[in-house]
Amino acid sequence: MWRRDAIAALVAERGDAITITTEQAIGAWRAAVPEALNEIPHHLDIVGCMGSASTIGLGIALAQPTRAIIVVDADGSLLMQLGSLVTIAGAAPANLHHFVFENGVYETSGSQPLPAEGRFDLAQMARAAGYAHAMQFSDAAAFAAALPDVLRQRGPVFVSVRTEPEDGYLVRSSAGTRLDVQMHALRERLAAR
Amino acid sequence: MVQASPVALSVPAAAIVGELRRNEITHVVNVPDTHQRTLLAELARQSEMRLITACTEDEAIAISAGLWVGGQRPILSIQHVGLLAAMNNLKGIAMDARIPTCMLVGYFGRDVTRPARENAARAIRLIEPTLDTWGVAYFPLERPEDLPVLARAYRYSTEHCEPSVVLIGAPTS
Repeated sequence: MWRRDAIAALVAERGDAITITTEQAIGAWRAAVPEALNEIPHHLDIVGCMGSASTIGLGIALAQPTRAIIVVDADGSLLMQLGSLVTIAGAAPANLHHFVFENGVYETSGSQPLPAEGRFDLAQMARAAGYAHAMQFSDAAAFAAALPDVLRQRGPVFVSVRTEPEDGYLVRSSAGTRLDVQMHALRERLAAR
Repeated sequence: MVQASPVALSVPAAAIVGELRRNEITHVVNVPDTHQRTLLAELARQSEMRLITACTEDEAIAISAGLWVGGQRPILSIQHVGLLAAMNNLKGIAMDARIPTCMLVGYFGRDVTRPARENAARAIRLIEPTLDTWGVAYFPLERPEDLPVLARAYRYSTEHCEPSVVLIGAPTS
């Protein structure tokens, strides 16, 4: 499926979840949401610490157990900190949904193939690590249809989303907003609730 | 033969836990450090502060950042070589994103009869110069009477939105 279709489905079903994107998902998410640039509430674009989107999400999930947390990760990013699957499973946040977009390449740096691409299975790794649920989708219509039920499942939930490689862009700090500004703003918004 | 007297003395784990309580710490995110094993055991025996174990120190810094964003008061417990392993997230999260990140860092394997900077072990003697290079504030905890540095380090971190390091000189008891 195309990344934009999967992102559109997630945006449509996100509700009031705190959302976290990283790498190539950042631009697609920003293109899909109706809010103006830099005005997406309860959202973080994670850059500058590759592989950390899901563990930042874990921390927020533990701190805010009544809020749903949606992390939109990437395969190359997850491989940078693969042990985080076990860390997340160990902490067992019921409110964390971890989507990993798998296109099999390091798109940002020129679409070099991942090591052992096609021979490993991240969803099976997540299941073996101890996630409550793990699944994979490669068809956009099936993904969109299943998403409401997936988001109702008790976490941690791992969802592998197989997407086509595209022409990546150079990911800059939050397409305009620095990470420090985003993180401090989200903390203030959560404190004000 | 005259034995060299220690420069660093052990600090009781119970005293550190008491200091963490006084600082209203909510979560201790750790990658297990042999140097702080009694502290981790003491933390495991209580339920006021949640003890979270991460696989890597990079993860620990990220989890701590998420907890802080969510309104909590986390602290990290890691080993000195783990600090070196986590320089990417120390920069990318604690420094660039200006997240208060206070870390208890154990000098595992240190010769306690010598100052850290004069230890034979490279990773130990290079910690303070490394932190100096990166501009990270550090607070040596060399003996029980130094315990107030924990509050100072935590306050420094929250007030400046920067990382800070409490260097634990001798194994906790």
